[in-house]
Amino acid sequence: MFELSSSGVGGQELFVLPFGDIVDYFTPYTGALFLFALVFTLICIFSKPEKQLDVVFGTDAIYAKEVTGKELHFRRFMAIACGLATMGAVTSGDVFNFTLFVSLVGVCIIGIVAAVKSKHVLNAAFNYGIISMLATVPLFGGAAITLAATGTLSIWELAAIAPAMPWIAKALILVGVMGEGIAPFYAAKAELFRAPGAPYVIMIHVSSLLMFLRVVEIMLTV
Amino acid sequence: MMEEYAIGLAVAFIAVIITFVAAIREKNDIHRLIIADLAEVSVLVVIALIATDLAEALIIPGLVVGISELMALSEIYLTREGLNNPVHKPFRIEVLDTAPTIIAVILVLYGIVLSGFTGGAVAGTGVIFYFMGKRHAERFALIEAVSGYAWALWIVAFFIFMVMPEYWFFAVMLAGGAILAKVTAKMSLIGTMRGEKDV
Repeated sequence: MFELSSSGVGGQELFVLPFGDIVDYFTPYTGALFLFALVFTLICIFSKPEKQLDVVFGTDAIYAKEVTGKELHFRRFMAIACGLATMGAVTSGDVFNFTLFVSLVGVCIIGIVAAVKSKHVLNAAFNYGIISMLATVPLFGGAAITLAATGTLSIWELAAIAPAMPWIAKALILVGVMGEGIAPFYAAKAELFRAPGAPYVIMIHVSSLLMFLRVVEIMLTV
Repeated sequence: MMEEYAIGLAVAFIAVIITFVAAIREKNDIHRLIIADLAEVSVLVVIALIATDLAEALIIPGLVVGISELMALSEIYLTREGLNNPVHKPFRIEVLDTAPTIIAVILVLYGIVLSGFTGGAVAGTGVIFYFMGKRHAERFALIEAVSGYAWALWIVAFFIFMVMPEYWFFAVMLAGGAILAKVTAKMSLIGTMRGEKDV
């Protein structure tokens, strides 16, 4: 059973971890994504946040924003949680688990900036959160339609009956992943980046990039 | 069967479209938040249409994700609007000073008799009522510690089920007692959530 029939972009599987019919796996492709997420999570754990510098226009004045105390702890925790959720989404061998991990990444992204006491940043986080709540509709909807049409959610079994996943389900999942993390909502994300503290804020970007790469792999495999 | 599913799916998608149009047209932030929650409920309908045991198992994580997003966003909304401190005085009448102890004791004892999840809910209601009635110095640390240990015991019980199924009776008792303590502790926290600062 443990052999992807249509290998897609992933290549041969290197490692499988079966939990019943939910089989997590690494291919060279997802293994690389996993390592990237792991390294970045370690950076978030061990590095100190950078000081963002603001220039006061018209003068020579510069002031540095610091991330200290409670805010530091909370944001570091959320960044680590975001890294773990990303790793989960990258290794998952089940469509529904993948969508759950993606929405977990969405919640963590909001959490990374939620401790910042700036109205602009909170406003951006709120709007982003509304989008990600709405995006769970196509995300879970796509997974549900897949289950109804094929009777399984396992990427292994879907790959075995190759063009099984209806195109509407694929499109819905793609739209959902976009809403949870990536490109079209860059306007709100740019505002999120006004929150100080580099490794934690960049985690937002890394996780959404990895989500996109992974969803492309799933779409091409099943 | 397949035809009924298609009809249900069409109805669910009409509901989704209505919610999305509402979300686009609405300008008030708190209303948008509620509409986004409605959209999440409608996707639970799409999952439920599959109508198998697996669908039932998928609804719970979907619901949990939705609720956690809703809670995170409402917390952000409160912080952004500076609404964290209560503006009204807590509700006080005399009976709240005298009755809570007796009623709480009765409910907690009855909850222990019931045991399990239901018992936890009943006992928790008693403790909520006690905390709401009495003004108290909170002992959050204690309640949270009890809740944490109860959770650990619950997990231990599940491991016993999986690894040593022959001791199932011990595991049932362990899980029943732990979930009683856990639900009671969680619900009693609700009773402390009014009137105090930073709660």
